[in-house]
Amino acid sequence: MPVHDKRSAIGLDIGTSRVCRAQIAGEEFQYETQLNAFVSLPYSKITENILEKERVPHSVLGSEIIVHGNESDRFADLLNVETRRTMSKGLLNSSEPASLDMLRKIIDSLLTNSKERYKLCFTVPAAPLGAEENLTYHEATLKRVLSDMGYHVSSINEGLAVIYSELESSNYTGIGISCGGGLCNVCVAYLSVPVLSFSVPRAGDYIDMSAASITGERANRVRMTKEDSFHFNGFFADKLQQALSVYYDEMIQSLVHALKQAFANPRNLPKQNRPLPIVISGGTALPAGFLARFEKILLEAELPIPTADIRLAADPLHTSARGALVAALSEA
Amino acid sequence: MRLFAFKSVEAQAGEISDPIMRLRFLKVCAAAYPEPMPVKRNKGVAWFCFALLLAGLLAPGYQASDGGNTPAPRAPRLSSQGAATDLAKVWLVDKSNGFESYSNGLRIDDRYEVANETRVFYPVYHRAHVDVTEPEWRSEPAGIVYHTTESDQAVFDAENNANLKRIGRDVLNFIRDRRCYHFMIDRFGQVYRVVRESDVAFHAGNSIWGDDQVYYVNLNASFLGIAFETQTLRVEDLPSANAAQIHSAHVLTEMLRSKYRIAAENCVTHAQVSVNPDNMRIGYHTDWAGNFPFLDLGLKDNYAIPPPSIYAFGFTYDPIFVHATGVRLWEGLVLADDQTRSHALAAGATVAQYRTGLRREYKEILKTLKEAESVKEAPHASS
Repeated sequence: MPVHDKRSAIGLDIGTSRVCRAQIAGEEFQYETQLNAFVSLPYSKITENILEKERVPHSVLGSEIIVHGNESDRFADLLNVETRRTMSKGLLNSSEPASLDMLRKIIDSLLTNSKERYKLCFTVPAAPLGAEENLTYHEATLKRVLSDMGYHVSSINEGLAVIYSELESSNYTGIGISCGGGLCNVCVAYLSVPVLSFSVPRAGDYIDMSAASITGERANRVRMTKEDSFHFNGFFADKLQQALSVYYDEMIQSLVHALKQAFANPRNLPKQNRPLPIVISGGTALPAGFLARFEKILLEAELPIPTADIRLAADPLHTSARGALVAALSEA
Repeated sequence: MRLFAFKSVEAQAGEISDPIMRLRFLKVCAAAYPEPMPVKRNKGVAWFCFALLLAGLLAPGYQASDGGNTPAPRAPRLSSQGAATDLAKVWLVDKSNGFESYSNGLRIDDRYEVANETRVFYPVYHRAHVDVTEPEWRSEPAGIVYHTTESDQAVFDAENNANLKRIGRDVLNFIRDRRCYHFMIDRFGQVYRVVRESDVAFHAGNSIWGDDQVYYVNLNASFLGIAFETQTLRVEDLPSANAAQIHSAHVLTEMLRSKYRIAAENCVTHAQVSVNPDNMRIGYHTDWAGNFPFLDLGLKDNYAIPPPSIYAFGFTYDPIFVHATGVRLWEGLVLADDQTRSHALAAGATVAQYRTGLRREYKEILKTLKEAESVKEAPHASS
């Protein structure tokens, strides 16, 4: 379906931690994000009334009230419980029975426009390097959910979405990396064509859970601390900051090791000697000093390809959604 | 691998300023020629792609702007309490085998921890305008109420160790069964977690407090309860708690204030907040009525704060309460009386008339609260 009205295209980044919608309004990209999580509260009429009044997205399920999206974080912290997640390691969470229902509600809360004639492109992860993991179920299920809502649906690899969002100046040639909650997704593209893509299962959640197990904090609270105050440089007197630093390092090492391993295969080596730009996006790449640490480890690893212009995306939290929107707009 | 390793396609793409148009051009090229192309054919492919583009496959482009400047959509938020500024930084260091240790030396024994009703929401009423029907709803603990267990006290010496330990255990089991407090500090200064911090404890019953922004009515949900295993003494300036208990209360208060950003003026004693709606008098409970060691706990002397129950909701006090308290609390009572008088004057009413209006408002709040959920208070001994 050709997109004749740029406002009738939507990019949807369906990540393990967050779901982000990108759309054009006027001449601007606009974004809205919801936490891809939910939490159960004990049912009471007063709680339900307050949630209604405060317009907190929720649903009543028997003796429970399920709060989903952004507010779930706050309620989980309040109740001292972990949030429940619709996705794990980039895919639908098979151990969470309510995953699909909740993900549908979260997506629905982001997509409020009329759905007919809208082109929607959503992100999907890549398989782990060297693994033949079956991503078909995840992709087909989300396609069905979104099609049932009335959209004309397509999907895009998350790493490629980073390239579509950020590497216009190099004619969509380079390496796009999205460091999210469940996975780090990597894509190498030449002139918009993806030639290599893979994922690394160590990302934000791995850091949170590992640091939580060391400090005795809940992973949810670790994540909030990480997002609020963690930075790379300097001395950490705080045990949690130390643990975060250690596991961040480990995640970056895994990512760089995977890149090196991928390019070790001569078939994956580019047929040109031009240095490839690298763009990194995603919430896990946000802490101050992340890029410098990544560059240092990448330099030490001595990749078999020349790289240039390693940088963070302009708006790391929205890059994949923006790339998905660019893909939707470009589809004829 | 499909690879465009030739400069002509790239050069042609580079001439397209609109990023979406350029991406479409490259995709069309990729679809038209899926394998790497020899250099001499590049130009033809590029022109072929342009021809496809010109054939009307493409929609109008757009000017993309920096998304980072776009304001985020407004999300609904429940309110949160104002932040205190004089807070130490305290964090959990270890949690294992039923004990927690914190960076300020606090050690909590979790083995008596028990769940109760979850604290989801509690109402607060703005000082500037008490709106009974439209309170603000909050979720996090806003303060601390200090209690005494008023339990049996064995003589505190080594010969009585077994007795002291037995009594401490009995008291713990008693308050655990009745969900009386969130924490108890025993005679040896050991801090026990009783009701979970995320849950309501039945520690304050009918009670009122206020900070510089809002009033809190019935503090079971809004304030955390800490009980000292002790009995209240009526001797001026002599805390009825030992040094170990005071030290533990200090580090526990410091941790809770750090965790929930609790203002110092919201750390008060049960006697300061307790009210009796039946006779509209304050001081239904008198634990820590006059000799609480605020300064030793790193707090200001909060006895000097006028009780809002008097000036905001029309409560009074009787000679029995005055007798039970120390001179430090009288200061707050006098200030509260002064405020009531000046407010009445400003409203053009007598003190009695003004107080009647305040009481009506309180009764309405109480009625609303009792309709929502009945006020619960365990039958602990601090009366």
